[in-house]
Amino acid sequence: MEYRPRTPREGVNVSAVHPLSELVTLVLGISLAVVVLVVAAFAVIEVVIRWVPPSFESRVFASLWSADLGSEPEDPRFDAAAALLGRLESHWEENPYELRLAIMEEESANAFAVPGGTIYLTRGLLDSVESENELAFVLGHELGHFRNRDHLRSLGRGLIVSLALSALVGGSAAESLPQVVTALTESGFAREQEEDADAFGISLVQAEYGHVAGADGFFKRLPDANADIADEFASYLATHPVSEARIENLWSLAAENRWPLTGELTPLPR
Amino acid sequence: MTGAAIKLGFPLLLLFGTYLIGSAVEKTHYREIRIREARSRRFPTVNFRTPPKSWNIVGAEMVAGNVVISIDYFKRFLAGLRMLFGGRVASYESLLDRARREAILRMKETAFERGYNAVINVRIETSRLASSNRKGEGTAGVEILAFGTAVKFAK
Repeated sequence: MEYRPRTPREGVNVSAVHPLSELVTLVLGISLAVVVLVVAAFAVIEVVIRWVPPSFESRVFASLWSADLGSEPEDPRFDAAAALLGRLESHWEENPYELRLAIMEEESANAFAVPGGTIYLTRGLLDSVESENELAFVLGHELGHFRNRDHLRSLGRGLIVSLALSALVGGSAAESLPQVVTALTESGFAREQEEDADAFGISLVQAEYGHVAGADGFFKRLPDANADIADEFASYLATHPVSEARIENLWSLAAENRWPLTGELTPLPR
Repeated sequence: MTGAAIKLGFPLLLLFGTYLIGSAVEKTHYREIRIREARSRRFPTVNFRTPPKSWNIVGAEMVAGNVVISIDYFKRFLAGLRMLFGGRVASYESLLDRARREAILRMKETAFERGYNAVINVRIETSRLASSNRKGEGTAGVEILAFGTAVKFAK
């Protein structure tokens, strides 16, 4: 046998795939798969929400949302708000929840409905409301979230999105992605949810007082109402749709139903 | 928004930057490998265990060539994406190919410098030097060791 010198051949050991084209294929494929999975998971959530009875929900979440987040202070305004909640509840006949009100020590004016039937008002909201009517709309709005099971929906969606993301990006490259994506998806859905809750809230105000005066005071105290939101993108990203659009919605709803726009405002105890 | 843009933009910039640098480094390495392979092609390297009968051997010594090559951020990212669905991890193939050829070249060059005429019984070993598991912070790389018996022919 003879030794014939030659250079090693460029063989089959390296695939002739351009790294960038592989990147694009992978990113597109994975994005598509994730979108399909998340949409499917969201559909499952809608079904599950329909089948989870509020009593079960309360049992599960009762221990989760305890005194850590908020308290029930000795305050005439808190008592008035709790009593108001009771009266509003009576206008929602099929209410399956045992509702509870608590105050969160937080300066910005806001309110939240959390799974299990607890409504949190921030101290800032309680300090800034000027009439009971205004507060009634806030509480009615949160009742609307309970009625539409929005609190469960948000919880489920948030869970799915964060699960999907943590499965996808183990770390390094995109630890910041979760916030970005959650902000983008949540705000898109929130728009519709907030408007539905608004509609229910104002119908409760009308049922309680016989007019809807003062209902829009709520928006003047939302954090984003104070912020300078000029461009449309920022307003889209805000959790609550821009206040003015929501006020307009309220008034057109009131006009449709011929609800009186003016009336006497009920004061809150100081 | 700017915060999110920076947070998202930085990894993207890193990805693109490491792609450019990584592929430039790889290109340079391949060019160098090809030149050295051409230069040393008259130096027989075989994996026979015993030399052919016709070889008149007067000396022998074990020679080894060793190389450690690290993957870049981009390749690791690509491999990470690939991990989800499976398939050929093409981004690592060139890495291993370079490492093997470089290790063999180093072995041959060592043997040549010491005055040997060929290397027989060539073996190649691969080991994983470090894992990239620690949240991607570790240095992932491969070590390739090529070794064999360098032999000297009678003049």
